[in-house]
Amino acid sequence: MTLGRVALGPMTLGRATLLGMCVTLAAGCGDRAPSPSARLSLLETLSGADTAGYERALAPRDFVFPEDHGPHLGFRTEWWYVTGNLTSTAGRDFGFQLTIFRSALGSGAPVSTSAWATNQAYMAHFTVTDVETGRFYAHERFARGAAGLAGASAEPLRIWLEDWTMEGIAPAGLPVRLRAAEDEVAIDLVLDAGKPAVAHGVAGLSQKGPEPGNASFYYSHTRMPAEGTLAIGDDTLDVHGLAWLDREWSTSALSEGQVGWDWLALQLDDGWDLMLYRLRRADGSADEWSAGTLVDHRGAASHLTWGADVTVESTSTWTSPIDGAVYPGAWRVELPGRGWSLLVEPRIPNQELDLAFRYWEGAVGLRGVGEDGADVTGRGYVELTGYAGEAPER
Amino acid sequence: MPPSHAPPSPPSAPRLELTDLRKGYQEVGRTHRVLDGASLRVAAGERIAILGPSGSGKSTLLNVISGIDVPDAGTVRIGEVDLTALTEAERTRFRRKHIGFVFQFFNLLPTLTVIENLLLPLELKDRAGPQEVARARALLERVSLADRADAFPDRLSGGEQQRVALARALVHEPALVLADEPTGNLDEDMAAQVAHLLADMVAGERGTLIVVTHSRVLASRMDRVVRLDHGRLLEESR
Amino acid sequence: MRLLTKSSVRHLLHHRAQLVLSVVGVALGVAVVLSIDLATQSARNAFRVSAEMVSGRATHQIVGDAGALGEGLLLRLRTEAGVRAAAPVVEGFASSPRLPGLALRILGIDPFSEGPFRPFVVGGPAELDVGAFVTTPGAVVLSAATAARAGVVPGGALPLLVGGRTRQLRVVGTIEPGDELARAGLADVLLMDIATAQDVLEAAGTLTRIDLLVSAADSADRFPRVRALLSPGETLAPAGTRAEVMAGMIDAFDVNLTALSLLALVFGMFLIYNAVTFSVVQRRALLGMLRALGVTRGEILRMILSEATWIGVSGSAIGLAVGVVLGRGLVRLVTRTINDLYFVVSVEGIRVDPLLLAKAAALGVAATLLAALPAALEEASSEPRLALLRSEREAKSRRTLARAAALGVLGLVGGSLLVVVPTRSLGVSFAALLLIVGGLAMLTPAGAVGLVHLVRPVLRQISGSLGLVAARGVVRSLSRTAPAIAALAVAVSVTVGLGVMIQSFRGTLERWLDSTLQADVYVSLPGPTASRASGTLPPDLMDAFVGHPEVAGHSTYRGTDLTDEAGAFRLVALALDPRAEETFQFIDGGADAIMSAFRRGEGALVSEQFSFRRGVGTGNVVDLPTPAGPRTIPVLGVFYDYGSDQGAVIVSRSLYDQYFDDTGVTSLALFLAAGADSESVVRDLLDLVPPGLTVIARTNDVLRSASLDVFDRTFQVTAVLRLLAFVVAFVGVLSALMALELERARELGAMRAWGLEPAELRRLVLTQTGLMGLVSGALAVPMGIVLSAVMIFVINKRSFGWTLDLQLGPMVLAQAVALAVIAALLAGLYPAWRIARTSPATALRGE
Repeated sequence: MTLGRVALGPMTLGRATLLGMCVTLAAGCGDRAPSPSARLSLLETLSGADTAGYERALAPRDFVFPEDHGPHLGFRTEWWYVTGNLTSTAGRDFGFQLTIFRSALGSGAPVSTSAWATNQAYMAHFTVTDVETGRFYAHERFARGAAGLAGASAEPLRIWLEDWTMEGIAPAGLPVRLRAAEDEVAIDLVLDAGKPAVAHGVAGLSQKGPEPGNASFYYSHTRMPAEGTLAIGDDTLDVHGLAWLDREWSTSALSEGQVGWDWLALQLDDGWDLMLYRLRRADGSADEWSAGTLVDHRGAASHLTWGADVTVESTSTWTSPIDGAVYPGAWRVELPGRGWSLLVEPRIPNQELDLAFRYWEGAVGLRGVGEDGADVTGRGYVELTGYAGEAPER
Repeated sequence: MPPSHAPPSPPSAPRLELTDLRKGYQEVGRTHRVLDGASLRVAAGERIAILGPSGSGKSTLLNVISGIDVPDAGTVRIGEVDLTALTEAERTRFRRKHIGFVFQFFNLLPTLTVIENLLLPLELKDRAGPQEVARARALLERVSLADRADAFPDRLSGGEQQRVALARALVHEPALVLADEPTGNLDEDMAAQVAHLLADMVAGERGTLIVVTHSRVLASRMDRVVRLDHGRLLEESR
Repeated sequence: MRLLTKSSVRHLLHHRAQLVLSVVGVALGVAVVLSIDLATQSARNAFRVSAEMVSGRATHQIVGDAGALGEGLLLRLRTEAGVRAAAPVVEGFASSPRLPGLALRILGIDPFSEGPFRPFVVGGPAELDVGAFVTTPGAVVLSAATAARAGVVPGGALPLLVGGRTRQLRVVGTIEPGDELARAGLADVLLMDIATAQDVLEAAGTLTRIDLLVSAADSADRFPRVRALLSPGETLAPAGTRAEVMAGMIDAFDVNLTALSLLALVFGMFLIYNAVTFSVVQRRALLGMLRALGVTRGEILRMILSEATWIGVSGSAIGLAVGVVLGRGLVRLVTRTINDLYFVVSVEGIRVDPLLLAKAAALGVAATLLAALPAALEEASSEPRLALLRSEREAKSRRTLARAAALGVLGLVGGSLLVVVPTRSLGVSFAALLLIVGGLAMLTPAGAVGLVHLVRPVLRQISGSLGLVAARGVVRSLSRTAPAIAALAVAVSVTVGLGVMIQSFRGTLERWLDSTLQADVYVSLPGPTASRASGTLPPDLMDAFVGHPEVAGHSTYRGTDLTDEAGAFRLVALALDPRAEETFQFIDGGADAIMSAFRRGEGALVSEQFSFRRGVGTGNVVDLPTPAGPRTIPVLGVFYDYGSDQGAVIVSRSLYDQYFDDTGVTSLALFLAAGADSESVVRDLLDLVPPGLTVIARTNDVLRSASLDVFDRTFQVTAVLRLLAFVVAFVGVLSALMALELERARELGAMRAWGLEPAELRRLVLTQTGLMGLVSGALAVPMGIVLSAVMIFVINKRSFGWTLDLQLGPMVLAQAVALAVIAALLAGLYPAWRIARTSPATALRGE
């Protein structure tokens, strides 16, 4: 672990960007009728962001569960990011994503008699990938954190936006039940904790830039067995699989020069988990803050330095039918020190979220050579941002 | 100058034939019979004076002859046309084409110039184009008022107005000219002048003239004099 | 017919004075009609646009029948009924010292729900800073134009007076809506986060409504699910229903103003009728001559009508221009009255609707033609006698007199029958009024003849033979004098009638105030409209007030404005002090029994208007909308209420508290101990008011005169219209009298030739016109009384539901006669002067 190096910090940038932009566009992001105006760029939104009055991630701290599963309202942004691959009893493969974002609208708690008063806004994305039919479903919601419309609490463990919920079913902490439904798709899954939580960066503090406080607190549950039902169209199928929970909260700003990233969360069949993010500069090259984490079958994590410990190259491209943006289509991931070489490919090519913020996040499969030179396969999720250019104009 | 006999009728000048005209008015309990079996025959080109004291119904007779009014009984024939059998609209249209009028007063529209007043019957009959304007001017010349063509009637003396009225009565070449006390409002000299012009111009246009008057002077200029007496028309020697 | 047209035009231009008067008459009539149309339409438009802006694209709304809506419904609508496009709204009214005279509408919304609804919240060129909007205390967004008017920029403070409290709001942004309509609709809107709005309006826990956007395709599926979620007392209705009901409140007011404006046009028609008749009579011999020359009846008709058309067109054109200017002034008065009596609306100026212009112009031309028609038809149909004697004409006109009198009686009978027909229709009522006025007008010639006969001996005493000549002149030239007398009589009678009605109304109101205002001091909060209190008095302040040593007793009043399908009404909860027993006057009497039942909470009292509109009387029941659904309450009595024309339902506080979870008090009535000085008590009370709170405390006298001020303000529009109508009538009379006298110029000029001096001639003319004025005035008195009776007992009752007492003072009647005489004398001045100036020779020569 290198002192002062940001391990997974820039991840927050990406998602904070997402959230920050959407909050500003919030008024327009209701019910699929987004605002036509406001050409906001990634850079503009976050670089102008006001950070005064919020808590900042200054020093590492121990994570305490179940409390830290809940919200950290003093920080400006936070999310509960769940992705997973599922298979039905009949063998149909699916991918899903349920993300609930929290963004603070102001630093002080409101002083009001109104049940609607709040300084927290919530956004959620829910996607389902149907590998068999090649269809991809993506939905978004926005709500204020008041009047029961959206919110998060640690005890009882409940994070929700209207009827998209993540609820703890045990007296405290995990396992957690996910429920979400919109139009033709719905999920109702129970996720076990699986491996213990992995703290990223330096004991959970992931630094992004030179100034103190330009950092986030970050942990993941990288391998959560999932079981439940998935409804698609008229069918309700029993499904099982593996999910991945990313938890992060921060009050941080964007670094200069970064335009987006590729994030990979891979679950190998031999029990290893691999998390990588490749921050991308304007000229397409990888930023020095790119990094990764390797987690063994017991849950022990080791930091990966870009270039030295891990390389990721895209091997093909995919063009978005929406605006012709060109995304990477597949990747070769290599860990030279361990002799790993993996080919990662999306389960279906078009898993682009055409929402208020446009990005690509989809189920992937992998094959290649893993630990000890053995052949290995696996599943995972990949997130690609910054390829669609500026914020969507509709 | 009295004609020795009726001149041969040119085809354009119709005869006038009144047959047993009757017309009465209701007045406080009794019926005042203005016309009570009046009959008359006028040859084409004749100039007739109808004499009678004021109030004896001369104007009513003119009304009936011209088709302004219909008699209670009897017929009015002008040429081939039985006026009494026509509808009011038809009579009006007949009148505008074939009859010319000279009144005692209110002959001219005060808001039109002399020449415009002359053109009015022409416009009513058909149109008032350059040819018609020329004719109007010629007639105006005839009554020696060519230089007053653009004056308004209130600038003219009584006699001048009557002279314009004369010209106006003839401008559309009517078959029948009716005059109601045309000199009644004028002094002696003017009256004589107008009377002379009237008789002369009608003859010149080969029209048939009926003058209603109580002036013997005027009557003496006509070819024939008839008297309206108790509703009937009686020939009179002049 | 080119020459005839030329002749017509020159005739019109030659008689310039007549032409000018005719054109002015038409112009004024058209101007008044247009200005009222513009004023009321602008007010309606402003209200509608504002309501539409505020309602946005919502297709439906969920409202609470008893006013407020519970908050939990929104989440359930989204999660259980599948209606995602649901937006909560909190609304209220306020004012700001920075924007005097503007009633501000607070619109509290949730930006996250707004996307589909209100395009000005999202999607404007300046994006809403949601963070600042939601988290800044007192954050408000307003239209750029209004912000400029208030002299405030984003970041600045906007002081706001709401519910009596002064707060400092912070402007966090401005909206610049794209089109003019949106700009107008948003001019009075203060956009706030829903939480801020609840804080500012002290309305935590309730919503004003929830807007829904449900497509026609989805409605079959969604609505049953939505309805299943509603509690009794909550209703799903198409968007705009409430606004429609509210707009309907001013319908009667609208009709009355329009009727009044049409009156001016009718007077203009009288004027045209006169002018054309005179012009035709003037040229009768000439027209006869034309007929003799062979001009057909149709051509004569066309000629006269085309002259009228010239007048109509030019008068209407001028009238349009004047009407727009007049409208700009009137809209202020009309808007203020609407604000005082009905609902909050701000109108920035008038919108000159081309359709209204066309309508007014068409009306002006049509009215002119209609007025000219009788004379034109008469002339065209008459026999073109070559020598139509004047005496025959007058004999004819005396026959016409008999016919007119017969028609007049017919009109009166017809009008009276219509009056008796039990109907609410204002159209029928105004038709009856028209028939009665018309009938009376037709009877004036007969009345004039009679009166002149009566007056003759007196006149002879005063003015000798000149007086006799004058008197005779009036009667002999009846065909000419009758229309003038009728016009003046009608004009004065209308003025009298309106005056009596207003006076009766005021008198009734005064007596009602005397009996209703029993307490010594009245306390309330400043509200958006002048005549209705709103808001909630702070309880501790109330306790302090009631605890004042000189206060011997108090009543409390809680008022809520509600609407249902039948219209808008006020629900009032009263806790009456024993001293306030005689507050109500009941239509059926029996106050004691009714009031004791009322105190026991056995039922409700309804106002006369409520009873009238809904057909609900003593012994019937009324459905009281409560949060838990409608409750049937017996009606104990119907009381007279002159506070407003919208209905009111009053229940005792104990009954109210059973159904409503509301402890608030809107206003307080204090009874002071004997010998207490109300003024000083008011001063003491105001001293108790903490800073930041504005409370209105008034003595009985002050409240009383304030109420009368509102009344007087309300009738300002009526007063203006009444004056304008009278001016038109006066112009008509002037023109008629002038025409009359000028026609007789020859005759009068001949008198000069006999040796009459100019001064004596002037006196003759003035005596004649004065006599006509006297006759008109005398006839106007009974006409005015009849008119006022119809207006009070029929029109007012059916328009607004009020029972008024007819109050007739001798002053009013004396004023009527004086007005008529003065008007007639004034109108006679010019002709008198002109005739006296003419040399006899000119007169004798004639036209």
